[in-house]
Amino acid sequence: MKSQQAGLFIVSIFLLALPLWVKSDVVLTILVFSWLQGMLAVSFNLIFGFTGQLSMFHAAAFGVAAYATHLFMQHLGVGYWTAVVLAALLVSVLSIIVGTICFRFRLKEFYFAVVTLAFSEMARLTVLNWNDVTNGSLGINLQEKPWLLGFKVDGTVPWYYLSLFALAATLLVCWRVVHSWMGRCFSAIRLNDELGDTLGINVFRYKLAAFVAGNVIAAIAGSLYAFYLGSLEPGFLSIDQSLGIVAMVLLGGRSSVFAPVAGALLLTALPHLIHFSAEVRSIVYGSILILTILVLPQGIYGSIAALLRKRHAA
Amino acid sequence: MGQLLLGQLLNGAILGTLYGIIALGVTLTFGITGIVNFALGVFMMLGAYAAWYFTDVAGLPYPLAVPCAVAVTALAGLIADQGLFRFTRNNLVNGLLVSIGMIAVLEASALLIWTSTPKELHRVLPGVFVIFGFVLPKMKLLVFGLLLAVIIATYMALTRTWIGRAAYAYAQNPEAAQLMGVRTSRLQTGVVVYSTALAGLGGALYASLYSLEPTLGSLFVLKAVEAAILAGIGSVIGSLFGGIILGVTEGVGSIYLPLAFRDAYGLVFLVAILLFKPAGLFAGRR
Amino acid sequence: MLLEVRGLTKRFGGLTAVADVSFGVAKGEIVGIFGPNGSGKTTLLSLVAGLMPPTQGDVLWKSAPIQGRPAHEVAAAGLVKTFQNPQLFAELSVIEHLQIAGHLELKRRLGWKRLATLVRPEFGHAGGALQARAEHVVRLCRLDASRDRLAAEISYGEEKMLGVAMALMCEPELLLLDEPASGLGAGEIENLEAVLRDLKAHGTTLCIIDHKVGFLGRLADRAIGLHHGAKIAEGAPDEVLRNPDVVMAYLGHSRDRI
Repeated sequence: MKSQQAGLFIVSIFLLALPLWVKSDVVLTILVFSWLQGMLAVSFNLIFGFTGQLSMFHAAAFGVAAYATHLFMQHLGVGYWTAVVLAALLVSVLSIIVGTICFRFRLKEFYFAVVTLAFSEMARLTVLNWNDVTNGSLGINLQEKPWLLGFKVDGTVPWYYLSLFALAATLLVCWRVVHSWMGRCFSAIRLNDELGDTLGINVFRYKLAAFVAGNVIAAIAGSLYAFYLGSLEPGFLSIDQSLGIVAMVLLGGRSSVFAPVAGALLLTALPHLIHFSAEVRSIVYGSILILTILVLPQGIYGSIAALLRKRHAA
Repeated sequence: MGQLLLGQLLNGAILGTLYGIIALGVTLTFGITGIVNFALGVFMMLGAYAAWYFTDVAGLPYPLAVPCAVAVTALAGLIADQGLFRFTRNNLVNGLLVSIGMIAVLEASALLIWTSTPKELHRVLPGVFVIFGFVLPKMKLLVFGLLLAVIIATYMALTRTWIGRAAYAYAQNPEAAQLMGVRTSRLQTGVVVYSTALAGLGGALYASLYSLEPTLGSLFVLKAVEAAILAGIGSVIGSLFGGIILGVTEGVGSIYLPLAFRDAYGLVFLVAILLFKPAGLFAGRR
Repeated sequence: MLLEVRGLTKRFGGLTAVADVSFGVAKGEIVGIFGPNGSGKTTLLSLVAGLMPPTQGDVLWKSAPIQGRPAHEVAAAGLVKTFQNPQLFAELSVIEHLQIAGHLELKRRLGWKRLATLVRPEFGHAGGALQARAEHVVRLCRLDASRDRLAAEISYGEEKMLGVAMALMCEPELLLLDEPASGLGAGEIENLEAVLRDLKAHGTTLCIIDHKVGFLGRLADRAIGLHHGAKIAEGAPDEVLRNPDVVMAYLGHSRDRI
């Protein structure tokens, strides 16, 4: 335990000090995107890796919050952070509705994935076609930047710290939850939900809790992402986006809270470093998804952990 | 108004058979290999582009290009099955993830090779029928007839021939079928290849009616899965009717509701059926 | 009367699995339900635990109807059932199983305030209490040796014992046991009997369904004989076991002694 904490401390110091000696704007930008995608991956894993529900709704939570943040600012005149909170609230309401429908009807596994996919597509089609509000397929350019503690968060370095902080907060929350009684409920649901039911665990409630919590974190990530990127487009809610998130989690390892960040880092950094076009990026995502399922089903983390266990046992 | 309605009904039914042939592939694959193969959409796209290639680039007459396209697609299906799907039998989640991965890879590849500029087949069968004042292109009717024939022929094969009944028996009880001498892995591969061939046929015929672009498969396969689940996954004749119900609903719906809702009907059906009658409308029937 | 079953009937299409069964279980007693395979025992138990709705009849828990209530509510009310085929969490260890099963007690102890433990894990000292209880149950069920072993690695007898242990963590007032002795060797049955007697001594009411006549005969205070879904005998165990209808049900013909 001590060595884990020490390792965490060292990594934290390293990441905090990074912008001091890495001056490359490209690298820092990649890291900003990686941290935000990491938030998506870690929150998705709460639903998928720990509670065992394959949700295809994550990109929708991400995209809806992004649009909602801007629209709340525009039509209600509120500040950025208020809009972020409102967007998160909106996403939690949507998640409660979708989740209640799915879990009340006890949709299992694959059918849950298909129905969440259907809802995600409905959200995407709404964004795509509601031209008056969302400007349809043209998207929206965002000029504003958030203000925090008197500073305007503009420029790569401020965003680096904001996104890193957001990721750290996400990891802390998820870690705490997973290592608590609630995390045990999630595991019970994942491994044998009927048994959990007879032991007094309200399976519906905790499935919904994981689903909503994961989506709310994705929502916050979406609000941040859009304003860093400076634009909104319906592609945020696409199946490709969901696919990317699943690929990150599978690559990193779905049995760990932290491992999906590794997946996010690899899959975000790779295409940018080697100047992939959008098509090649899709090919890479798809190939990684396929290879991970077939060759490395436990992801990088899981495979290393299994290897270490074998060494110990031998 | 009546004419418009009739027109949309007919168009919807014809489009429905296109949904239906892919839905048939979805249903067969599910029944025998236990996964819902979303990748059938890219095989449809492959068939479409192959038909275009054989006709417009290689210069073959269309009636020859279609079987060639189907053969090419079937071959691709065989390779995909041996290299990929073989490892996901009966694992719905893995099957879903693997097929989505495959879709991403193949669609992006198609975009790189053929770009998103739409490709058009030159006129295959010009001329129209006029039915009650409504104009129906001859080619559409031909496509309708062909697809209908193939679906019905498949149904006949499944119920009358030994292979078909073996396949049906396997879907009912894999262990028993195996004990009776049915070569299950061959059966599974065979069904996958047949399903991709069906998708290829659908694509090749689609090419004669519409312009092509690499993402045409994704939209179709989602509709096909919706149709298959609507009808009851596993029902052969059901996939035809599911497709037609969906096609007609979309056609008629576009009269009364804005065009933007077109893709939503299928999604709503999907959610409604999975929640209220998960076995599908034609559950229990072949 | 802790549990009261009145006119319970369950029909599946043309098949009547349970036919007009009525009985009661009083606090502190051990009731044994005998019956050969196919007599409707497991269905009866599922009906009583609220896992499926009856076609007719009532199940009253502490004088309130319980049929149709979701499984977790039934457990929370004090009525806990074990599975005939052990249901486990494959990837987890024995002690982890008990930690999960401790959820109900945690809920009872802290209520909604248990959310506070997400922020401050030591809140309400519940964590320590849960751990202590889990250790106690491990010892009680004689699972100490396998405490840290994964559920996938333990023996069948231990699996069944783990099922009982998990049920115990829920602090049941009435424990419904579905064929706890089936598949166990003689030594394991002795073990089980000892644990169940301990439970009775601690005040837990037991309702056991089994077809192992010897095991149930020794343990039960009162017995009920079941055949083709109907109750055919009730009374003291040796009386019921000597009942000619019960003997006929088991052996297909009459005999002087079992």
